[in-house]
Amino acid sequence: MRDAKVLIVDDEVEFATALSERLQLRNYAAKAVFCAEDAFAITKAEQPDLMLLDLKMPGMHGREIVKTVKQFSPGIQVIILTGVSEDQILEEGIEGEVFDCIMKPVDISVLTQKIDEALKKRN
Amino acid sequence: MKIRKKLFLGFGLYIILATILGFLAYKELQIITTRLTVVEIADDITNTILEVRRYEKNFLLYKDREDFHELKKYLAALKKNIDNIRTEIINEFGTDNYNMMKESIAEYEYLFDRIAENLRAHEGLYKNEKDSIDKMRLKAREIQSFTENLLKRERETINSLLKSSVRLLLFAILIIMVLGTVINIKLGASIAAPIRSLEEATRKVAKGDFSQRLNLKGKDEIASLGASFNQMEERLQETMSSLELAVERLHEKQAQLIETEKLATLGKFAAGVAHEINNPLAIINEKAGLMKDIIELSHDFPNKDKFLNLLNAVFDNVNRCSVITHRILGFARKADITPELIDINSLLGNVIKFLEQDIMLKGISLKLDMEKAIPPLRSDRIQLEQVFLNIIKNAIDAVEDGGIVRISTDIKDNNTIQVAVQDNGHGISKEILRHIFEPFFTTKEKSKGTGLGLSIAYGIVRRIGGNIVVESEVNKGTTFTVEIPLQTELHGGENI
Repeated sequence: MRDAKVLIVDDEVEFATALSERLQLRNYAAKAVFCAEDAFAITKAEQPDLMLLDLKMPGMHGREIVKTVKQFSPGIQVIILTGVSEDQILEEGIEGEVFDCIMKPVDISVLTQKIDEALKKRN
Repeated sequence: MKIRKKLFLGFGLYIILATILGFLAYKELQIITTRLTVVEIADDITNTILEVRRYEKNFLLYKDREDFHELKKYLAALKKNIDNIRTEIINEFGTDNYNMMKESIAEYEYLFDRIAENLRAHEGLYKNEKDSIDKMRLKAREIQSFTENLLKRERETINSLLKSSVRLLLFAILIIMVLGTVINIKLGASIAAPIRSLEEATRKVAKGDFSQRLNLKGKDEIASLGASFNQMEERLQETMSSLELAVERLHEKQAQLIETEKLATLGKFAAGVAHEINNPLAIINEKAGLMKDIIELSHDFPNKDKFLNLLNAVFDNVNRCSVITHRILGFARKADITPELIDINSLLGNVIKFLEQDIMLKGISLKLDMEKAIPPLRSDRIQLEQVFLNIIKNAIDAVEDGGIVRISTDIKDNNTIQVAVQDNGHGISKEILRHIFEPFFTTKEKSKGTGLGLSIAYGIVRRIGGNIVVESEVNKGTTFTVEIPLQTELHGGENI
């Protein structure tokens, strides 16, 4: 379970880096990117096991990001980690393609539990 | 009676009166005419007798044959006159008098003839002739005085008849004037009075008063107009009251719409704010978390416990904020948004079980009045639980220790059930009642409530197509009635 490759995609740089660092301290191979293009590049190059994705990214809808990422890495697990409400997640129409949606801010233990569940599902 | 008939009757009465008067006058005149004929005849007779007497005197004085012939001529005229008198005039004279007169005249002629014959034979009067002449003269005077008396009497009769005729005519004119005036006034009133009341009523209608009803008696055109007017008024009144009702309902709907709109706007605003706060809050959470991680991992961090305590205070308050933002954004409901068949009674039972401790602690007597035959409804269990949790919790908070909370379920109509949560607590004033569904509006202490419970409950119920009605009286208690449709189409949930 540990050493799993986790990709954090969020335009909030401070949030993404801090979270990445905390996950690394918990033995996840975490990496943070701040735009969709970088997310695609990393997915292609490193085939991460799981992606923590902010739904609200400038320039691109969360749904498109999920679709594209899944093309590069079909087995990847996606957890939406966002500040928007349930209604907007439903509007995106991606609830079938993601493992779960978690609302910011989230307790680290809750988050790691979800990550582990998702990784278990992947394996 | 129709107006035409009334007018006919009025004129008819006039004409009848006039005819009666005319007839009476005609009759009087006829009587007078008859009397005048009598007078005329009596006059004629008197004059003829006077002529007869003149020639009688002359004959007896001069014994002239000429005088004899003249007398005979006048006497014949007199007889002819008397014979020619009409039966009705004879009746006026009196048949006895008439016959007596005729006899007297016949006797007179007989006596005269005999005297004349004796005169011719003897050229002078016998002694006994003198008696005959006296007798004859007496007869003549009798006839004379009779006719004179008759004349006098007839004149008097005519005079009195004329007087009474004039009186009668004057009286009749008076009666016609009085009766005519009365008939006119009555007729006029019977036509004008209902028109006047109709006019009055019309004026009231113009002022917007539809309450009056005309009571026009009779069967004339005005009365039927009055009946139509009454019908019109009734219709107008009905229309007005239904219009008023419609306007009232419209106002209610409008107020409700404004309220819903206001709450929706507030909700959107709150959601926007919550979202904007979530991101920086998440950064604080992660940064503090990272600090905590580092401090925990290092063995010789100075004031380690102090820092960890401080950081825990940060987490507590991050958590406090996120409880609010999460509740606003309704994130907690995300997982179970599938509709299922729900028995509302058992759902309420679950909620009550969840609040059992609060109920026990306050010593509240909880009364349940559940409709056993309540149909199952298709809706979202978690959301409905949230609704009743919030409302029942409010009821528990509202009552004093040992207060009463009554929960009842009922069938409202074919498509709707209703759940009433009633408490005998402090009640809600009208001023506050207006705001209770607004987000962040609370009367509880800061630590006890966020002011979101009822707002969220209202949002959910409106989203499933239901409604919440609140009735409250200060110091008496409050009743929340939640109406839920049996079939729910969740708004904003297209996967359902």
